[in-house]
Amino acid sequence: MQTIPEFLKDVSLFQDLDEQSLSTLASLLVSARIAAKAVVFRESSESDSLYVVQSGQIIISKHVQGEVDIVLTRFHSGDFFGEMGLFDAAPRSATAYAERDSTLLRLERKAFQQILADYPEMAARICYRMVTVFIGRLRATNEQAREAMRWGLEATGYSPGNPQSAFGRKST
Amino acid sequence: MADPAKLEILTRSADDGGFQTVEIDSLHAYRAYKPQRLPPAEWEITAQPTGADGARHFVLRNLRRDSYLLLSSKEHFLWECFDGRHSLEEVARAFHLAFGAFDYMVIRQFLARLYDCGVIERQYALDWQSIPAGGRARRWNRAFGWAAQKWRGLAFRIPQADRLCALLYKYGGFLLFYQLSFWLCVALAVVALTLAFQPGELTANFAHFIKTQPLLLSSVMLGTALAVSVLHVLVHALACKAYGRRVREIGFFLLQGILPTFYADVTDIFMSTRQVRITVDMAGPMVEVVLGSASIVAAYFSDAGLVQALLFGVGVTLWESAVINLYPFNFLEMDGYNIVADLLAVPMLRQQALALIPSLPQRLRRISTIERGEWLQIGYLTLCLISVAVYLYLHVDAIRSLLHLS
Repeated sequence: MQTIPEFLKDVSLFQDLDEQSLSTLASLLVSARIAAKAVVFRESSESDSLYVVQSGQIIISKHVQGEVDIVLTRFHSGDFFGEMGLFDAAPRSATAYAERDSTLLRLERKAFQQILADYPEMAARICYRMVTVFIGRLRATNEQAREAMRWGLEATGYSPGNPQSAFGRKST
Repeated sequence: MADPAKLEILTRSADDGGFQTVEIDSLHAYRAYKPQRLPPAEWEITAQPTGADGARHFVLRNLRRDSYLLLSSKEHFLWECFDGRHSLEEVARAFHLAFGAFDYMVIRQFLARLYDCGVIERQYALDWQSIPAGGRARRWNRAFGWAAQKWRGLAFRIPQADRLCALLYKYGGFLLFYQLSFWLCVALAVVALTLAFQPGELTANFAHFIKTQPLLLSSVMLGTALAVSVLHVLVHALACKAYGRRVREIGFFLLQGILPTFYADVTDIFMSTRQVRITVDMAGPMVEVVLGSASIVAAYFSDAGLVQALLFGVGVTLWESAVINLYPFNFLEMDGYNIVADLLAVPMLRQQALALIPSLPQRLRRISTIERGEWLQIGYLTLCLISVAVYLYLHVDAIRSLLHLS
């Protein structure tokens, strides 16, 4: 069985950390088992921690209407989510469900603030990786927005108008 | 073609607190889509008379945006179905039952036109802009583009044309539309034609001055024709007001991208009867007929000289302008063409005829399969070709004769 520091080596967010930093980090993480279909956190709930998927699969969705959500993405072993909660106290922007039985490692905001205060170099390495991942996710979001728009256009049969389609009579 | 776009939906279950995910592609959603036209207060539709080709058309007007669409009977059927209650799948079934065949492309193309005209409720607004093509344009290409843009930039339109026309109509314009005015115009035209064709000095005097002072005479004749064309479109617009319809625009543009032309947009007249449309079409050329006739009569009673030549030249030019305007077979959508299109109730005759040209040799090889509508288009094309050839021949001949005369 892989120990938590060994597992953290494979997490992209922590790939720049040395052994000692990983051990320190591991001591700050809290492990949690989530059953399939259970909610990890809900949209609009308080946000105060980041999660790393140790095993299983997490699905992130955003409420659309009634009981219907749109699926934004899925996270697998080695991915992290909920990172916005480390930086601001704004409510969660989406809901996270466990799609399968999953194990998550939780890093609370307090613990992250402790890292920032006590281990600034380690915090800088984590933040740098986080920004890199943010950029990738932002690109993916743009692509997703484009796909959603394409879906809307195709679903409603919309296409750019034919300039000759208008009808009229200009008496000359 | 790209794969249909997909969205993944998560639906929560109220019973066990779980959820289900399902992927929906846009084609599935398209079939389930229920297009909804604008509320009835925001559009009006008018049935046109059955055309000589057997087809029936409808003109749909978006009152909010003041845009118009010409609908075929099949499109009218679809329009009736787009009430927000029927999915495209249901509409397709109904269409198939009514017309015996169906292709989703029919709906797709029609929807595109409806979106363009703004008569379908939209959930979103997009500003489509053409993406500039890659590669570096050559210098001459850019220069040509610049010149073309400047040339097109000559077009302009008068703001609030409808209000202006309503005022003009109220303060005197209405006098033109009394029956007495019409009969006075006819009488003047008859007198002018009688005088013009009488053997006398008029033609010889004109021929003399067109040879000795061609630039002056040509400039005055063309300048007058251009000035009168402004009155011509104004009278079209006033006729439109006389029947209580709206004048969308008055302005100046380049007909077919080449010919500088004044125009009055009287599309709203399609919401009226065929007889009214023909009257509006006729009203414009009457300006040239009246002023041209007056000019010829004045020339007849003038002494021989430059003034008489100018008056006669202007009169003939205006009459010619009226005849060209009223002659339907010249490939242009002038008043005569509009009258023919209205009489035949085939509003897109010219466009359909031009679209037929590429496939014409193939169609003529299978002559027995040519439909009534296509025969009309072929007839229109043939008459246009003959007319243009005769017009060119007569003008070359007329100029030669005038030069040899004196």
